[in-house]
Amino acid sequence: MFELFLIDRSLWRHFDKLLFLAVLSLCSIGIAMTYSATITTIDLADYWQRQLIFTILGAIALISTALFDYRHLELLAQPSYIGLLISLLAVYFFGEVKGGARRWLDLGITDMQPTEAGKFLLIVFFAWYLSRFQEHIRSLPYLLGAVILLAAPLGLVYIQPDLGMTITLAFISGTLILINGVRFAHILMGVAAGIAAWRVLRGTLQDYMVERIQIFLDPGSNPDAAFNVRQALISIGNGGWLGMGWGEGPQNQLHFLRVRHTDFIFSVIAEELGYVGAVLILLLLFFVVWRLVHIADLAQDQFGRLITLGVAALIFFQTVVNVGMNLAILPVTGMTLPFLSYGGSSLISMMVAVGLAQSVIMRHRKIDFQ
Amino acid sequence: MNERPVRTVTSATIFVRLTLIATFIVLCMRLYALQIVSGATFQEQAVVNRLREIDLPAPRGVIYDRNGEILARNRPSFVIAVVPADLPTDDFTTAVDEQRIALERLLAVLRADTDPEMALHIAQGMFLHLGRFDFAAAFETAGIDLSYRLVNLESLQRTEDGREILVEKPMLIPDLSQPFPVAGLLALLERAVALETQGSSFKPVPVLELVDREQAFRVAEETYQLRGVRVLQKPVREYPYRELASHVLGFLGPIPQLAADDYTAQGYEDLNESVGLNGLEYTYQDVLRGKPGHKLIEVDILGRENRTIRTVQEPEPGLHLSLSLDIRLQEKMHKALARKVEETGAPHGVALAMNPRNGAMLGLVSLPSYDNNIFSEGLGDEYLALEVEDDTRRPLYNYAIGGLYPPGSTFKLVSATAALTEKVISPHTTIVDQGPLYLPNYFFPNDPTQAQEFVSWNHKLGIFHGPMTIVSAIGLSNDIFFYMIGGGFPNTMEGLGSERLAKWMRLFGYGELTGIDLPGEVAAFVPDDQWKRLTKAESWVTGDSYNTAIGQGDVLGTPMHVLVSTAAVANGGFVVKPQFVQEMVDAQNTLQWQHNPVIRERLPVDPYLLAYVQRGMWNAVNTASGTAVTSRVENVTVAGKTGTAEFCAYDPTIKDCIDRDDEGNLPFHAWYTAYAPYENPDIVVTVFVYAGGEGSATAIPVAQEILSAYFHELRP
Repeated sequence: MFELFLIDRSLWRHFDKLLFLAVLSLCSIGIAMTYSATITTIDLADYWQRQLIFTILGAIALISTALFDYRHLELLAQPSYIGLLISLLAVYFFGEVKGGARRWLDLGITDMQPTEAGKFLLIVFFAWYLSRFQEHIRSLPYLLGAVILLAAPLGLVYIQPDLGMTITLAFISGTLILINGVRFAHILMGVAAGIAAWRVLRGTLQDYMVERIQIFLDPGSNPDAAFNVRQALISIGNGGWLGMGWGEGPQNQLHFLRVRHTDFIFSVIAEELGYVGAVLILLLLFFVVWRLVHIADLAQDQFGRLITLGVAALIFFQTVVNVGMNLAILPVTGMTLPFLSYGGSSLISMMVAVGLAQSVIMRHRKIDFQ
Repeated sequence: MNERPVRTVTSATIFVRLTLIATFIVLCMRLYALQIVSGATFQEQAVVNRLREIDLPAPRGVIYDRNGEILARNRPSFVIAVVPADLPTDDFTTAVDEQRIALERLLAVLRADTDPEMALHIAQGMFLHLGRFDFAAAFETAGIDLSYRLVNLESLQRTEDGREILVEKPMLIPDLSQPFPVAGLLALLERAVALETQGSSFKPVPVLELVDREQAFRVAEETYQLRGVRVLQKPVREYPYRELASHVLGFLGPIPQLAADDYTAQGYEDLNESVGLNGLEYTYQDVLRGKPGHKLIEVDILGRENRTIRTVQEPEPGLHLSLSLDIRLQEKMHKALARKVEETGAPHGVALAMNPRNGAMLGLVSLPSYDNNIFSEGLGDEYLALEVEDDTRRPLYNYAIGGLYPPGSTFKLVSATAALTEKVISPHTTIVDQGPLYLPNYFFPNDPTQAQEFVSWNHKLGIFHGPMTIVSAIGLSNDIFFYMIGGGFPNTMEGLGSERLAKWMRLFGYGELTGIDLPGEVAAFVPDDQWKRLTKAESWVTGDSYNTAIGQGDVLGTPMHVLVSTAAVANGGFVVKPQFVQEMVDAQNTLQWQHNPVIRERLPVDPYLLAYVQRGMWNAVNTASGTAVTSRVENVTVAGKTGTAEFCAYDPTIKDCIDRDDEGNLPFHAWYTAYAPYENPDIVVTVFVYAGGEGSATAIPVAQEILSAYFHELRP
C-alpha cells in the first residue's frame, strides 16, 4: 500500500491541467462572490477568508486524491455500501431531528449527515457493481439487482425525509446504469415501474415536499418562499448585460436576496456580473462537466469510466438544480452550486470528486502505470 | 458480446454531450429572458424594493408670550415601532409563526414580560393606536378577559352652522389599570400589524412611545437583527409653565376617533398624528403644524435606512405664535386666584386680564387647572374623559369662556349705559332709596299684600342710601336705583323694559360669542319677552326687568362677556374681540401674520354719557362709601364694579337649589371687574369666584393683586 503515495513524476503528464484550472477559477470566483455577499453582514464578514482556506484545503485534497490509485477503491466498494446502509439505519433509529427531518447523526463532536458522503459511496459502489457485472447487465436479474441495491438506501433517505437527496442519488445511479448500457425494453419496463411507483409514493410525499412543488407551480401560495424566489429573479433581472459591478448589487448588498452566499450565489453573480458574467461562469461549470465526460471516454477501465461519469453526473445535477432554482425553472431544494456556494464540506467533497477523476485520467494508459 | 457495449458506450457519451449542450443553451436562454428581455421590469422592481419615500415631519411652531418666553416647545423623544412589511412573514412550511416570534422577541427586549409597568405602557399605546373596538377584539380573539369602565366621553363637535359644541356620549372603555399578560400584548401587536398590512404596510406601527434616549439606544442595539423593528424620533410637545397656562395653550393628542373624518378630509394621512385638541393648539392647529415633507431613502431588507437619495419635498415648519399673554402676569393671576379659591373652598374661579383698547389678552386663569404636559404622554380623549369624571371639579373645563353665570351687579354697567342713552334718566336724575320697593301686583294694584318686595343688598345691613344719581348709584351698587331704571314704577317713572334691556345687552356682546381665539366658548340667549314666552310660557313682567337690570333673573354670561363689557365702558364704547395670538413668524423669523384688532361698531352711546358710567366705577373705588375701595392701587387710579350674584344650582333630588343658608338665602358668586388707569386704561381685569360669596370680600383682593403686580412689578 505504501507505493500508493509515492509521487511518480510520469503520472503528472496526464493530470488534466485545464480541468484543474477551471475548478480553481470557479473557486476563486466563489471566494470573490462570497466576499461580496457577506461583507455587509457583520457576523459573516470573515466568510470569504474561510472560503479561501476551504479552497486551499480542497486543492490539497484534490491533488492527494489524484495521487491515490482509484482502482484500489474497488476493494472498498462493498464495505462502503454496507457502511452507507448501516449509517442510514442508524439515522433512522438514533438520528437527530432538525427542522422536521431525521437526517443527522450526533457524533459527539459534530453532527454528520451520512447522505453527503453517501453520494460518493454510492458512485463507487455502482461503478464497481456495474463494471464487475458488465457482461451480465443486459439480463434482467442483474439489472434488477442494481435497482434493488439502489432502492434500499434511496428508501431510507426518502423516509428521513429528504426528497432532494433521494432524487440526487437516483439521478446519479440512474445515469450510471443507463450509461453502462441497458436494453431498450428494460428502459420501458423501468418507466412503467416508475409510473406505478409514483402512484404509490405520491401519498407518502411529506407535506413540505408537496408544498415546495406547489409553490414552484404557484408562487402565490406561500408568500415567504415565493418572496425568496421573487427576490432572486429581481436580482438576476437587475443585472442586465454587464451587471451592477462586483460588490455593487443593491439586491445583494441590501440583503433583499436571502441565503445569498449559499443557495442563491448564482443570483448574486447574475446581478453583479450581468448576463456576460453569468454565462461565462455557466460555461466554466459546463466545461468542467464536459471535461469529466472526456476523461470518462479516455478511462482505461469501465470502473474508472463510471466513477468519472458519476462525478460528472453529480456536478451536472447540482449545477442544473441550483441554477434552475435561481432562475425559477426548478423548485427550491436547498442544493448548493458546486465550487461557488459558500461551505467547506460541499467544496472539499467536490474537489475530492474532481481528484478522483484526475486519478482516473492520470492512469488511463496502462503503459504509464506499469 | 464484447463489441456491443463499446458501441453503446460511445453513443451514450454522445448523448451525454448533447444533453450538456442542450441544458447549457436552455439556461443561457432563460438567463437572457430574465436579464435582457425583462431586465427593465426587474430593475424597476429592484428600485421599488430599496427606495422608499418617507415622511419628514415638520417641526411644530413654538408659542411665545409677549416677552418672548417659551410657552410651548418640542422636545425630542423616541418611538419604538414595527414596520409590518418588514416583519418576517409566516413561513407555512414550518409549524412556527415567524412573525409572532419576531414580535415576541421585541416584547422580550422591551421587558414587557417581566415589567408590569412596561406592559401597561405598551397596552396603553396600543389602545391609542387600535382604538376601543380593535383593542377589545384583539383580547377577545386571544381569549383573555378584559374589564371595562363606563365613561361619559365629551368631545368638541362642529354643528351644522359651524359652531363648536361639547357633546357627551357614554362609552365603555377598557380599564387600563389592570395587568396585561404578554399573550395579550402579542395579540394587540398582531392585530395592529394585520390591520396595517391592509393599508400601507410600510407605515410604522408604534409599539412604545416616549422612550428616552438611553432606552432607545438599548432597544436599537438589541433589535439590530430583528427584522421590521424601528426606533423612530418623534418630538413631544412640552409646556414649561405646566398648569399656569394650560387653559390658554391647550394640549396635543392623537386625532379623536369621532373627528377622524374631519381630519382626513383636511389631508391628514396619519390618524396617529398628534393634533391640538384644546386651547390655542386647537385653534391654530393648521399654522402650528406646518407641512410635512418627503424624503427618498434607500433601505435594506430590514427596512433600515441605508442612505438618503434625495429630499423630495422639504418639510415646511409650522409658524411660531407670539401671544399678548404675559406669563409673569399670568403667574400672579394664578397665584392670587388660587389662594382665594382655596380660602373660600370654591370649586372654581376665573381671572382675566386684557388690554381694553385692542382686546389683546394679557392673562387667562381658570381654576382648577391641569398640567397639560401629561397629555403628551397621555391616553387620548377617552381617558381624558375618565380623568374628568374622576375629578368632579372638571379641570379641563375652561370656565372663563365655557361657564355661564348670572353677572350680578357687574351687569349694571350695561343697564346704566342703556338708561342714560335711552333717556330713561339724565345724568342728574335723582332716585331715592328709602327701603325696599313694593311692586304692586299687576292684577290687584290696590292690594298691598299682593305686592312683590324688591330689596337692595344694603337693606339687610339696615342702611338706606337715600337720594342718588347714576354715578353714586354705581359707586354704591344700589339695587333700588337699577330696579327703577330697569322696570320703572307705576305712576312714577318709565323703565327700560325688556326690549331695550335686551337690545343693550346684545350691544355689549352678551348673547353671542366674544370671538376669542380659543375653542369651547359659549353664550346664552338674551332674555326678552319673546324668549320668556317661548321657554317659560309666561309673559314678561316688570319684576323681570328689575332682575335683569341688576344682572340676575335669566341674565347669563361668561366671565369673558363681563370682561368685554367692562372694556367697552373703559375704552369709550368699543366692543373688542379678545385675542391671544398677535403675531405669527416663520422659522426664519419673518413676520407672516399680524393681528388687526377687531373692534366692532361703536356703541350708540354719547361718550359724554358713558363718562358718567366710568365715573360711577371710579366712585366705587375712590370714594369712602364705594363698594370696591379695597381695590385701590398705589399711584394708579382704578375704576371697578363689584358683583354678588345669587345663583340657583338646581338639584332634582331635593327639588330645590343647593347650598341655601340657614335663612333660605341662595348662595352667591363673587364678581369684580375693573380697569386702570382710569384716565387712560391699559388693562381691564375681571375676577370671578364660583360660590365665592360677597364680591368685595373674595374677588376684589385678587383683582387688586393683579393690578398692583401689573403696574408695580411688571411695568416699573
